[in-house]
Amino acid sequence: MNGFAGLLLSVLVINNVTVISPTRQMRHVSVLIRDGKIAQNRAHTVRSPLVGRPAPPFRLVPVGGGTPISLESLHGKPAVINFWATWCVPCFQEHGALVASARFLPDVQFLGIVYEDEEGKTDEFLRERGTSYPSLMDKDGRTAIAYGVFGVPETFFIDPEGRIVEKFVGPLDRGTILSLVAQARGGGR
Amino acid sequence: MTVAAYALSVLLAAATPPPPATTSRPGDAPRGQPLSGKLLDERTDEVGALLRCPVCQGLSVADSPSTMARNMKAEVREKLAAGYDREQILADFEHSYGEFVRLQPPMRGVNWLVWFGPAGVLVAGGAVIAWALRRSPRSGGEKATSPLPRDSDLPSRDTLPADPRLAAAVRRVRMLAYGWPDGIAPKERS
Repeated sequence: MNGFAGLLLSVLVINNVTVISPTRQMRHVSVLIRDGKIAQNRAHTVRSPLVGRPAPPFRLVPVGGGTPISLESLHGKPAVINFWATWCVPCFQEHGALVASARFLPDVQFLGIVYEDEEGKTDEFLRERGTSYPSLMDKDGRTAIAYGVFGVPETFFIDPEGRIVEKFVGPLDRGTILSLVAQARGGGR
Repeated sequence: MTVAAYALSVLLAAATPPPPATTSRPGDAPRGQPLSGKLLDERTDEVGALLRCPVCQGLSVADSPSTMARNMKAEVREKLAAGYDREQILADFEHSYGEFVRLQPPMRGVNWLVWFGPAGVLVAGGAVIAWALRRSPRSGGEKATSPLPRDSDLPSRDTLPADPRLAAAVRRVRMLAYGWPDGIAPKERS
């Protein structure tokens, strides 16, 4: 009987620590048609508990210094917040698409938030590749935690009221940026 | 019956929609006492052990050496020092990462199955075994359900089965085997 009770207890204890909640389910596979070709985006919109909720506030200093930029200062404008790092290869891939989209969409505020990287390296990267929007240093990682970032790149599309409309995981291309920005402009619908 | 009632209660618990994801909101006032010193260290480890490091494979924030886990631990520490209680801190992280970030599934909705499902299955299995044992011939009285007749049920040398056709056949066999149909020699009878 003791053995039985022990088995029961161990089953409970094991369950206690190994259960994984299905919160990181892939939501859908988006198929985009560009230049007459079908480009399949490997399911990168992930269900985040923040989608549909107000974006967590932040107040961060841009790379290389300057006045801090806060979330409130963006209100009234749809925003694209991209978490990235210089050590991340997909971030390098999407950089061009983000910079070009930011130039093409002047009424949308694009922001980079640097994730676990050094300011010097980031500054060098931006100087070399060019940019059209500010990147902010998240020194203690608090903003990444508040946004529930699992890795980079992760991009949040925010509507003019400051609500998160969509979260995209993985490298973006221009078509995806345009369609998700359109969603953010419409407040999700 | 108890098993059925248990299963029903488990199913009901699973079917009821979970309460709002967080009982406390990020902007709420601290509910506990501000901590410091050794107690703060202890509580930081305690709460860190309940948080999943998002960039690791099944490691808690307390156990992981990653930058992300270090940052999260620093945030836990800061919040404990400010007087936020354990549940408030866990709810804050859950607000960003979802229930995934909790290493201990909170007791609500489908999670009841995780907490009590295994015990329920053991109880149900035990009940099935007990039921099967009670029905088995060894513990269940003299009236066995075995297909083999007992010795006392077989016809003896001088008795005949009730079925007249069978009785006639038995008499014929006795006639062939012993030379007389009644099974007992005429001289034995007297």
